[in-house]
Amino acid sequence: MTHQAVRVGSLTLKNPVLTASGTFGYGLEFAPFFDIEDLGGICTKGLSLAPRPGNPPPRICETPAGMLNAIGLANVGVEAFCTEKLPLLRERGVTVIANIFASSIDDFVTLANRLDREPGIHAIELNVSCPNVKTGGIEFGRDPHLSGEVTAAVRAATRLPLWVKMSPEAADLAAVARACQDAGADALTAINTIRGMAIDPERMCVRLANRTGGLSGPAIRPIALRIVWDLVGLVDIPVIAIGGIATAADALQFLLAGAHAVQVGTASFSDPVAPLTVAQGIRAFCEHRGLSIDDLIGRARTSATS
Amino acid sequence: MTPSHPPSAPSNQYRHLRVPLLRRESVGNAYHVLSFEVPDGLPADPGQFVMVRATTWGNSPLLPRPMSLLTGGTTPEILLKVVGEGTLRMGRAEPGELFSLTGPLGRGWRGPHPARQPLLVAGGVGIAPLLFLARELASSGRRPLAIYGGRTSRDLPFSDDLEEVAEVHITTEDGSRGLRGRVTDVLDDLLTPESEVFTCGPDRMMAAVADATFARDVPCQVSLEAPMACGFGVCLGCPVPAVSGGYLYACQEGPCLDARRIAWYPPTSQRGAR
Ligand SMILES: Cc1cc2nc3c(=O)[nH]c(=O)nc-3n(C[C@H](O)[C@H](O)[C@H](O)COP(=O)(O)OP(=O)(O)OC[C@H]3O[C@@H](n4cnc5c(N)ncnc54)[C@H](O)[C@@H]3O)c2cc1C
Ligand SMILES: Cc1cc2nc3c(=O)[nH]c(=O)nc-3n(C[C@H](O)[C@H](O)[C@H](O)COP(=O)(O)O)c2cc1C
Ligand code: FES
Repeated sequence: MTHQAVRVGSLTLKNPVLTASGTFGYGLEFAPFFDIEDLGGICTKGLSLAPRPGNPPPRICETPAGMLNAIGLANVGVEAFCTEKLPLLRERGVTVIANIFASSIDDFVTLANRLDREPGIHAIELNVSCPNVKTGGIEFGRDPHLSGEVTAAVRAATRLPLWVKMSPEAADLAAVARACQDAGADALTAINTIRGMAIDPERMCVRLANRTGGLSGPAIRPIALRIVWDLVGLVDIPVIAIGGIATAADALQFLLAGAHAVQVGTASFSDPVAPLTVAQGIRAFCEHRGLSIDDLIGRARTSATS
Repeated sequence: MTPSHPPSAPSNQYRHLRVPLLRRESVGNAYHVLSFEVPDGLPADPGQFVMVRATTWGNSPLLPRPMSLLTGGTTPEILLKVVGEGTLRMGRAEPGELFSLTGPLGRGWRGPHPARQPLLVAGGVGIAPLLFLARELASSGRRPLAIYGGRTSRDLPFSDDLEEVAEVHITTEDGSRGLRGRVTDVLDDLLTPESEVFTCGPDRMMAAVADATFARDVPCQVSLEAPMACGFGVCLGCPVPAVSGGYLYACQEGPCLDARRIAWYPPTSQRGAR
């Protein structure tokens, strides 16, 4: 059996497959389907200091090979997560990445402080790229200076590995990525959703109450792959790939592009067992080819086409 | 919760199954019944639903579709109406085709209260969770009243089955069967202070039914439709505005909900005028 563990900075993951924030709840919802501790890790729904009700409905709609969502970061709040969900995840030995969201740097710091004290959290993923909230989300992630500032402030507030989630919409993504690296990020995760829209011609109205929503699913996979490829060339810290990954073949593309790990998102809605199937598929591929994960990472960068 | 009025079972007993389609039958106007083969059974309460997707769909449609269960057990059934791509594909599925089913999901009908007279109000495909309920009531020796409405006589799937287990009043908009008109035209005459109403159908119909029960101070549950990506509390795509503020998630606290907990939007009294 080949070795599937991967290192992302100081953190070792059992295998390179995680779940994407907002598509796997707090993890326990998937426990009826499979042993969630068998995954490389799970990223929680975006946590804020206080619980948030989220946007008015309709919040989601399906689009070709994808979906739009404007959830508005509805979540139970960090306190409820730590007292009600985390103990159960810890008991199961799940690798937990806390995805956090705030509208001010102070609140980001308070959140990081709170999580730093909790056994069972393995890393923090900073969501500075949500397209569906008025303040805080994407406006941090689009601006290299602000991204760097948030990252530095959180870096100072916690010893936990710190991942920063990139928006595909930054005008100068290279500058944002370097600013996060320079401010002490341990890894970059990419990509968050891309803003889109849909109109119902029958009813002659926009489909989402928020008008726009974040596009996810297979539709964004080629864009995500291009961005991940670029990021891997730009920074020295590991990149974790997200965007339309539904099968092991999809995930392999990102590993071959240089990602150290992947996150499975929308695919968990189509098939709740998808993250596990992807992990098993990667293992089978490695065994079949006699390769380790490390052999795969970035391999397409050096090999000639076909 | 009073013991005489227990909630439906909590919804953490769901599973994900890959099962073959056993049978598909067309009924009336663009309705289809799909039966699946689940050897070890899918235990479900009336009003609970499953997320359904054929494994052959690829990326389109991408998401599974929520469907109320008509029955649970070893050959669970759903009744669907073709309204778009997903239901069109389901309506063409052949026996043996592999489906992904997640369920049973959500909370079904609460009660019914033993001291009240159940009154089931169904519109078209909304019959599914109500026929399931009527059959359960029949198995405990109760015979509910029911109002079943459709656009035409071909929009009343399973009306015969319903008549076996309930006292049924039929309405059609074109008068091709039963009374010409809508379910609400009959409702007022059938409501008594002892009634307990269970309704599923188009939003506007349910809102009008709920309005009538509010006026008569009679309990009413509705089975809500909301867009759903997951069906088990993960995507947060299915909120319903709550009277108490904030949202109820249709796949968690519903789909069957006390009509009084829902902040109908637009307000029910204005719905008819939309
Ligand atoms: C808990 C729950 C239980 C449900 N139970 C059943 C059931 O037992 N049988 C059943 O047939 N349906 C049921 N539905 C509705 C069903 O899920 C939708 O009809 C289905 O998802 C439509 O998928 P589609 O791909 O065919 O249409 P889409 O392509 O998703 O939609 C096509 C068009 O139809 C509209 N539309 C969507 N749903 C409906 C609808 N119900 N009626 C009219 N227009 C609609 C959409 O807005 C869109 O404009 C249930 C929904 C929920 C939330
Ligand atoms: C319903 C939904 C909710 C999401 N919520 C969050 C969130 O709370 N925080 C976050 O950083 N990303 C969130 N995302 C973005 C995903 O984590 C992921 O970056 C994106 O969906 C692309 O991956 P995918 O194509 O595999 O879904 C959400 C996505 C969806 C579809
Ligand atoms: S359908 Fe996903 S949370 Fe209700």
